[in-house]
Amino acid sequence: MAGLKDGDDYRDGERFKIPSTLQFACLGVGGAGLLLFFILAMSDRAGAMAYSWLFAVIFFLSLAVGGLFWTMLHHASNSGWGTVVRRLMENLASLIPFMIVLALPILAFPNFRDALWEWFPERKAALADASTYAEQKRDAYIAERQAEIAKAEEAVAAAKKDLADVASPSPGHRLHLERRIAELEEKAAKLAEEDLSEAGATATLVDKHFLDHATLLFNKRGYLNEGFWWVRQIFYFVALSGIALLLRSWSIRLDHDGDPKWFRWMRRWSCGLLPFFATAWTFLVFDWLMGLDYSWFSTMWGVYLFAGAALNSMGLLVILLTALRKAGYLKDVVTLEHYHLMGKLMHAFVIFWAYIAFSQFFLIWYANITEETQFFLMRNTAFWNGYTIAFLVVGHFFLPFVVLLLRKVKLMPMVISGVAAWNLLMHAFDLYWIIAPERGPSLTAHTGNIQMTIPGAWVYDILAFVTVAGIFGFFLLRQLASASLFPCRDPRLDESLNVVN
Amino acid sequence: MSNPSSSSNELFGYVAEFSSAADLYHAAEKVRDAGFRRWDVHTPYPVHGMDHAMGLGKSWLSALVLGGGISGSLTALLLQFFTQVSLYPTVVQSKPTNLFTIPAFFPVTFELTILLSAFATVGGLFTIIALPRWNHPLFNSPLFSKFSNDGFLLVIEARDPKFHGEKTRELLSEIGAGQIEEVTY
Repeated sequence: MAGLKDGDDYRDGERFKIPSTLQFACLGVGGAGLLLFFILAMSDRAGAMAYSWLFAVIFFLSLAVGGLFWTMLHHASNSGWGTVVRRLMENLASLIPFMIVLALPILAFPNFRDALWEWFPERKAALADASTYAEQKRDAYIAERQAEIAKAEEAVAAAKKDLADVASPSPGHRLHLERRIAELEEKAAKLAEEDLSEAGATATLVDKHFLDHATLLFNKRGYLNEGFWWVRQIFYFVALSGIALLLRSWSIRLDHDGDPKWFRWMRRWSCGLLPFFATAWTFLVFDWLMGLDYSWFSTMWGVYLFAGAALNSMGLLVILLTALRKAGYLKDVVTLEHYHLMGKLMHAFVIFWAYIAFSQFFLIWYANITEETQFFLMRNTAFWNGYTIAFLVVGHFFLPFVVLLLRKVKLMPMVISGVAAWNLLMHAFDLYWIIAPERGPSLTAHTGNIQMTIPGAWVYDILAFVTVAGIFGFFLLRQLASASLFPCRDPRLDESLNVVN
Repeated sequence: MSNPSSSSNELFGYVAEFSSAADLYHAAEKVRDAGFRRWDVHTPYPVHGMDHAMGLGKSWLSALVLGGGISGSLTALLLQFFTQVSLYPTVVQSKPTNLFTIPAFFPVTFELTILLSAFATVGGLFTIIALPRWNHPLFNSPLFSKFSNDGFLLVIEARDPKFHGEKTRELLSEIGAGQIEEVTY
């Protein structure tokens, strides 16, 4: 009541000035790390390092994607509480293109790609075998099929002759013979339909050999092939970055001219684009993470990765907000009410993540079907079992769940930031748990002596993580400084400034 | 204004009307500072920050809900472990019968936690606000009926230790009350 803030007092917004030492440090770490990482990767370590790079990139990409989710949710649900922090969400989301570009080396170069996603080399080998086979067998096959066709045609002729030979058949006998001729003609026509040119026969033989020797890859060939893979990667890049940049640019235009049409556009388009966002992220994690073992599948996968992304990008927003306020920004604009709301959303998503993670585990554990359990078998064996219980069950769910139950925690910026930092650490452990256990078996399977882990690979994991963190930080600082820290002429600004919950 | 249904002339308290939510808010701050305990405000819509103006502390309903939730979890876990693991170990789908059976017990634990929390919320709330009841003396007041239309009302009950007929009425007009009405049981 007393002392309501007026949005008009904040119409000029607030500009962020980049602390140059911090920016320089980020650039230095990111640049030097990038150089070092890819120099080291030009060796037989490339396979092991591909996993490190995937881990680092997907961690930061998930935070950016979470930022996009919160922006879109904010518009789609027409909410007013978070207008003052929406620009931070938009800035986070605008890092998506940088993160996907960072993933290009592992998407494009076969020495990384083949180590991560075995379906690439295995499919290639299966197809090569199949075409060798087809080349060898082609001529014999064509001859064999042509002989069959000739035989079928002979049978037709013989049947016709039978009919002609009978001087005066009874109606029943005639009908019988005519039916027989029709049947044989049909059979011959069917045989003649087959494409017995050299190319046609080769294709038939390739498919047959492919099916017999790599059944799973043959059955999934409509999805797991290089052409469609690239189509999908381009779709992910265009959909996710496009939505992020579009919403951010409209939001910034609204800052300049205060025209409410931008506000309406953002709201409308957010609703319409949400399905594309959801599809892009779901299939991105199918391709990048579930594809680490192409024989395994889980229908919960997309939601699982989405839950982690949404939770932890909210955590990163809380940390960012606290850091900005420590540096003297947004002091008047953001209140403890906003912290309280963001803390509640974090709490909700801690529970949501656990719900999804447990549902995925529970159904697979209970049904106990071989092709599904392999994922969890690998992760409840030896070292990984303790890891799962300590970091995912206790660290990712129980601890933050209990701590965030307390109202006071959500009202203390430093404490809630600490909880958010803990969650980010657990998110890193979660993604590491998805990626790292695949590395040992994948890289050593062909040697016949399967290793669960690659000794010393954790060094590359840390190097990759620090490198991508530096690059992420550098671009985040730039994006923060490129516009006002909050949407200063948003129609919902008053509501957000004075929010009470 | 006597209500035919009221049978007693014992004083319940005062209902005072204020002209706006803002006036009521400031009046509430003053009543709070005067040290009254048994009083309340009634408005047609929620007024943000009123709990602060009235000096209301944190409700202890959340503690009740936590208690309900914990009893729910413990009941479910103990019941399932006792019957399925210690009393009569049941092997289902070759799952272990030890601590690691716990995933199988989770759906029930979750549901019972939610159920007892919900019971504690509803039961606790109704106990704290003393509902249900047949009638309330405030319904004897014609002024009070404005609370659901355009009235911003403040009610001080006579059983408040600080309540003192004339003085309290003076206080109410001092802090800006328009119409003040005596309510009897």
